[in-house]
Amino acid sequence: MEKIILKIFTVIALAILTLIPGSCKKDILNLEPTTELGAAAFWKTEADANTAIMGAYASVRNCFFDDYMWDGIGEYQRTRGNQSSSSAYFGAGFNPEGSLGSHDNFYRQLYGAVHRANYVIENIKLKMLPGASATSRASLEEIIGEARFIRGMVYHRLIAMYGDVPYIGRIIYDNSEVADIERLPIGQVKDSIIADFTYAVEKLPATARGLGRVSKPAALAFRGKTQLYWASWNNFGWPELDGFTPSQPEAQAAYAAAAADFKSVIEDFGLTLFRNGEPGEIDALGKAEILPNYFYLFIPTANGDPEVLFAFSQGATGTNQSEQIMRHVGGRSHEGSQLWVHPRYEIVDRYQSTITGDFVDPLIPMNPSSNPAARTTLGSAVNPQSYADRDYRMKGTIMWDYEMSIGLASLKSTGWVPFIYKTWASLVTIDGVKYMSYNDGGGNNSGIVYRKFLRNYPGDGRSAGDYMFPLMRLPDVYLMYAEATNELNGPQADAVELIDKIRHRGNLPPLTVEKYSTKETFFEAIEQERIIELIGEGHRGFDIRRWRALERVWTPPNSEGIWRIDSHGGQRQRYFHYSTERDYELNYIFRIPPAERDRNPNLTQNRPWL
Amino acid sequence: MKKTFNEQRTALLKVCSEKTFRILKLTNLLLLVAVFNVFGSKTSQNAGSNPDTKDVPILAETNFNLQQKQITGKVIGADNAPIPGVSVIVKGTTLGTLTDNNGNFSISIPQDARTLSFSFIGMNRVEVEIGNKTVFNIIMEETSIGLDEVVVIGYGTQKKVNLTGAVSAVRIDETITSRSLSNVSSGLSGLLPGIAVMQNSGMAGADNVSLLIRGLGTVNNANPLVVVDGMPDVDINRINMNDIENISILKDATSAAIYGSRAANGVILITTKTGKGEKVKINILRTQSIDYPVNALQFIADYPRALTLHQRASLVSTYRDQLLFKDGTIDQWMALGMIDPLRYPNTDWWDIIMRNGRTNNTNISASGSNDRSNFYISAGIMDQKGLQIENDFVRYNARINYDYKIRDHMNVGIRVGGNWSKWVRQYELGFVGEPGQTSALDMQYAIAGITPYDPERDLYGGVMAYNEDPQAFNPYATYKLSPNHYNRQEVNPSIYWDWTPVKGLTGRIDYTLNYYNQFYWNASIPAVAYNFQTDSYGSRTYVGSNAGVSNTTTTGYKTQLSGRLNYNVIIKSNHEIGAMIVYSQEYWYGRSQGSSRSDRLHPSLTEIDAALTEVVSASGSSSEEGMVSYIGRLNYTAYGRYLLEANFRYDGSSKFLDPHQFGFFPSVSLGWIFTNENFLSSITSSFLNSGKLRFSYGGLGNNSGVGRYQQKETLSSSAYIINKAIVRGFVNQQMINPNLTWESTYVTNVGLDLAFLNKRLVTELDYYDRFTIDMLRPSEMSIHLTGAYTAPRQNIGELRNRGVEGNFTWRESRGNLNYRISLNASYNRNKLEKWNEYLGRGTTFIGMPLDFVYMYEDIGIAQTWQDVYDATPQGASPGDILRLDLNGDGRITGEDMKAFPQYNTDRPTANFGLNSTVSWKGIDVTVFFQGTAGRRNTWLNIYNNVNFSAQRYASTWDHWNEPWSVENRDGSWPRLSGSNNRNTQSFWMDDLSYLRLKNMQLGYRMPEKILSKVGISSIRIFITGENLMTYTKYRGIDPEKYLHESDAYPLVKSFSFGINVEI
Repeated sequence: MEKIILKIFTVIALAILTLIPGSCKKDILNLEPTTELGAAAFWKTEADANTAIMGAYASVRNCFFDDYMWDGIGEYQRTRGNQSSSSAYFGAGFNPEGSLGSHDNFYRQLYGAVHRANYVIENIKLKMLPGASATSRASLEEIIGEARFIRGMVYHRLIAMYGDVPYIGRIIYDNSEVADIERLPIGQVKDSIIADFTYAVEKLPATARGLGRVSKPAALAFRGKTQLYWASWNNFGWPELDGFTPSQPEAQAAYAAAAADFKSVIEDFGLTLFRNGEPGEIDALGKAEILPNYFYLFIPTANGDPEVLFAFSQGATGTNQSEQIMRHVGGRSHEGSQLWVHPRYEIVDRYQSTITGDFVDPLIPMNPSSNPAARTTLGSAVNPQSYADRDYRMKGTIMWDYEMSIGLASLKSTGWVPFIYKTWASLVTIDGVKYMSYNDGGGNNSGIVYRKFLRNYPGDGRSAGDYMFPLMRLPDVYLMYAEATNELNGPQADAVELIDKIRHRGNLPPLTVEKYSTKETFFEAIEQERIIELIGEGHRGFDIRRWRALERVWTPPNSEGIWRIDSHGGQRQRYFHYSTERDYELNYIFRIPPAERDRNPNLTQNRPWL
Repeated sequence: MKKTFNEQRTALLKVCSEKTFRILKLTNLLLLVAVFNVFGSKTSQNAGSNPDTKDVPILAETNFNLQQKQITGKVIGADNAPIPGVSVIVKGTTLGTLTDNNGNFSISIPQDARTLSFSFIGMNRVEVEIGNKTVFNIIMEETSIGLDEVVVIGYGTQKKVNLTGAVSAVRIDETITSRSLSNVSSGLSGLLPGIAVMQNSGMAGADNVSLLIRGLGTVNNANPLVVVDGMPDVDINRINMNDIENISILKDATSAAIYGSRAANGVILITTKTGKGEKVKINILRTQSIDYPVNALQFIADYPRALTLHQRASLVSTYRDQLLFKDGTIDQWMALGMIDPLRYPNTDWWDIIMRNGRTNNTNISASGSNDRSNFYISAGIMDQKGLQIENDFVRYNARINYDYKIRDHMNVGIRVGGNWSKWVRQYELGFVGEPGQTSALDMQYAIAGITPYDPERDLYGGVMAYNEDPQAFNPYATYKLSPNHYNRQEVNPSIYWDWTPVKGLTGRIDYTLNYYNQFYWNASIPAVAYNFQTDSYGSRTYVGSNAGVSNTTTTGYKTQLSGRLNYNVIIKSNHEIGAMIVYSQEYWYGRSQGSSRSDRLHPSLTEIDAALTEVVSASGSSSEEGMVSYIGRLNYTAYGRYLLEANFRYDGSSKFLDPHQFGFFPSVSLGWIFTNENFLSSITSSFLNSGKLRFSYGGLGNNSGVGRYQQKETLSSSAYIINKAIVRGFVNQQMINPNLTWESTYVTNVGLDLAFLNKRLVTELDYYDRFTIDMLRPSEMSIHLTGAYTAPRQNIGELRNRGVEGNFTWRESRGNLNYRISLNASYNRNKLEKWNEYLGRGTTFIGMPLDFVYMYEDIGIAQTWQDVYDATPQGASPGDILRLDLNGDGRITGEDMKAFPQYNTDRPTANFGLNSTVSWKGIDVTVFFQGTAGRRNTWLNIYNNVNFSAQRYASTWDHWNEPWSVENRDGSWPRLSGSNNRNTQSFWMDDLSYLRLKNMQLGYRMPEKILSKVGISSIRIFITGENLMTYTKYRGIDPEKYLHESDAYPLVKSFSFGINVEI
């Protein structure tokens, strides 16, 4: 009997032994992540604040680094699609007409960017500033300045798209805090944007703490831009935005504030244009050994040039921090790129003559497959000679038939590739040399492609670019300054001088007097320079809308609309074809995401989208 | 292919011929001696204290006992019919005979022989003490799990008669192992009620079988838990079917609650074989099959015709002179295609990239036991050549199971299963990539106008026709040039020690480990598309000249330690009580490391070091998870007819935060064997042999809806570039839900088991109600947050599954004829009852089943403009499908979509299997039908696109014949390049019900008279066929598969030949 009790006792003891948890492992119910940092370990030192703002920059850039897409809502670029699936642009339409209802993802990502900024601002304020020494205080405030700059930039984009938007200015911990959020009137949001920029202007250094970070002149320029947009809406009206009443005094004050900010950027920081604004050298037609300076401003070798006031930085192969511009503007001949965007044929006639400094006669589209003289007729759009003696920026921006670029494959050069419309990946002989033509795979429908942004050296794949896409360039500041002062007081001498500086890089003569004889003609000159200088940088669509110029640049409502054509004279796409007034309204303001409105009845919709 | 098959068959037959028997017998003897030398000597060492055992090889024993006696007898079945061919063996010797046609036998045996063993395939082995008896009348019963069987349940076994839960069990017999199956899960199809098996591909190495027990129980991972020999989380598809003794499926709360938090979707218990019988059995199985596709895509292998289709499609909106493809191009191709196939190819891609597959299975095992130990040892090779070129899978399996009684009341044992596989494939789905990837779309661009390959000059063709898209697809080049290689090894050892210090009380400790290691590599071979017309390289680079190599190693393990106490007691002979408590802890660890370099030094070199160091990348990570569980069970049986069982499991998981870490999952069940009641048995006994009513209710959990670290507040890396150098950055993107808790399922089950007519008809019926609450989902956050934060998980909704299932088996023996027909059928419906968030229009909706059919209704193809005017305006022209304006508001909008809640898009609501086996003397025939109903979906994919791209489209013959046109008004498709014809609308809705002849088998067992002379116990040769016929209205590749737009890999129809030798 005792033996049995002993046995029972032993087996129970053994059982208990195995029942003690954690005998050979650490506490297996409390395991820490291995590749992500536990939040409790963060916000301890000043370096953490710096790490946080780096994270914010990196994350926010996906709302801005593909801004060339936006030119699709203007007249001079066709945007077929976007392949950066993680970016804000993905899934959206970028057409001159009818696509402002497709930017829900953009809306989402912009608010994501707001949270990135708020996270830095609030944590520094609450966790770091109270115990900070005087020196570290200044540097922490600088970081807050950067975060507030980012937040301002994001909200500027939000109001430019949607008008009134919900304003979130603090860290959100739970969905219930925003589940029933309402839109704030545009004026109040604008005031917050200005406050953010003003803080940034006060705290940021004149020179950025590193390439890819923001500086005081950038903050000034962006504050000026917000003022200019605010002025435009007050000046020209925004009838699609319910509750917004334009006010001329507001407009005048905002133009003046904008002009002051721009003037400060232009005069106070010693900033100059890329390569001093010189046009550089240019190669013969059909050759591309020597390209004008303008071209070099838009490839990665120009990163960090003082002309660019602000750009998010990117890393090349191996960094996982790359842009995909080449994938979007290049053809298959360039590391298998896909030509998701290309300029429209109509931009060709916008390039002025280096001889007269004015427009030349429009080129004549001709089809070389049905017209044997098409390649030789002077003035024919498919005769390379027709492109002689034009603004140097033309060669730096676009390629027409028989223009060459460097083919790239497997990170190596494959030699010169001539672009010939509708002749992709064909063997051609030019001057006795055999080439394989530029392969757009039939994706091009205008007859011209971009040279701007297309790297002319090998080494990085189509999705491994490190070009810092400019979000604010000095010429833009010049042009905005000219616009603001022109609106306030008509053409000003210093403004004309600035326009001539820009024209000089295209090797164009200065403006003739009649171009700035009146406010109206000078505005036209400013608009012309904005089109040529800033093409592919995402400005045109927003300019047209804040100027309320859709009816001017396209056609008035209920008319036949306008065809976009190609260099062969084919009609490709027709826009505003018997569009009604409501159709135009839909193109003046973006749509608040309807899926969110289903969940949140407090979120109102812009009237045309109801 | 046919030729080699015949050759192989002849070779195999030769093996069986008389001549080679001698060799076989010799081998057999050598093997036996070898095995006994190992085990025999071990036995004697350990059992040295037993004076009865002599240290003499057993084989020799017969030779020394020359004193004989004669015994006779008769073997009959349960139905009193004699059973011929039963092998009668003196246990422990090779001495034996067979019963004759009348079931009689006669044999001389040594005087000291103790036990006679009677065995017959399909019957339970009978062993009787010889003693002084000389006449033996034996009744043998069929195997197959009858009511008196013991079934494997969680943490133990139970007599089937005492089961109160819903458990379906199957013994893996030769009709299953003879099938040409590449994995265990496809073998489960149609076998048991309540389990739905969907095979999603015929791809070698990735059949993508999905298993669902009793419908889709949750919006989360609804896969059942697979437990092999007590170890959860073993990959069911890497186990050798031949090693499996039986499979139990635990379907309701009371049977599955013992697996607590992981059992909500049911449990599949797999038990591997152990040695039985003192005669060591050696089993050799070899099957060889040829595999054909069940169905195929019908691309037009006629490029001029395909270009003509492009023209036809373009002419809808283009002037003739603006056409991309000119008449001249087409005419030229038509003329020259007949004489110059290199420059003007009309490639039949399906022919190029498909081949006849083959699957070879070779398996050898040995097993045996004595009174202190038993063993089972096996090795197998499965060698599969897929239907697609460059898609091969080879798997090697080995297993050792060994138990030893170290003391009278103490046992130890080990089970080691291991496998090793090599897998080559191109895309995830074989021909195409996963939906959503660009590679998923490529197959539609495989135009006939590309020459696949010129072996003379080692050139891969590209496009050649004027204006063709240079990005058209050459699948041959892709599959040949950059296959992916996966080499995987797994080993799964487990050991146990148990001790029964006093009668009824057993303590047991188990430790198991499941280790895996996988090495992936890809080293593509550079090639550029070639244009044979211009004799120059085209612009498309199939694989760049800087092709590199990439490797990824994933490795990890899972361990489980558990301690168990069992106590069983019988009080006053009528009260049986059993109790068990278990403590278990489980731990998972996984890591992966990857690296790649560009620019391999030479295409033949495939290691990382054989590439330049300029472009290099590396990655690595790990993750872990832990779980602690307390488990208990109580069984009580009174008077052999009242049954009670209660279970609980208390699980804690590292996935949840502190106050919600533990989940409690109890269950209780009752059973009543009413035929054991005197007042009933007097009435029922004439027709009902046994009857049992079961009822169970309980809770089960599911933690698969939340990731390992999803409930941890973490910061993610978001690096930035400053001054061209990368700098670290962090962003906060994890939002935490501190209240998150377990998802649980409450199951009510009512069951009735009946056996009629001398147990010839056995039925099992079950009704269940599974109610899942607190379903874990990523919460729907405001759009104002989702740009920055991943939504935290939330306990969101309630889902109810209701269903019935039945299993009916009829078996009978008449003379030499034995037959069995079993039918199982199940029906399941689910309903979403609660959802805590806003739900927009869609296929998830309150009060509706999950994934119900939701689409526009069509009113046919518009034949005339009048038809178009008569319908609600929708931008249609004649030839377009007209949609019905359901709400009559004069517009076609999303609001006109109609719900068909009776149909499900992804899963059938009813599943059934009909399995019949007939055996007569040595011949056996099995016919197995399987089918489903209740599933409907649209037949819309990239291969039947009526609005195909302007270039590079691989059109099918349907594109030529079916589209509506003025000349073809009866066409079953709308016109080419119309509008709104690709919407999900009832026009394209197909019924995916099917009936499939899943397996047919014909086997022949050689007469044992001949075999016994050469010392072979049995030889069975068989031919089987899989997926032989399918009846369905579905027009796509296969109604069994999960539908996706680029679906291309057909299921396999196979014919195989095999032989099973037992020595």
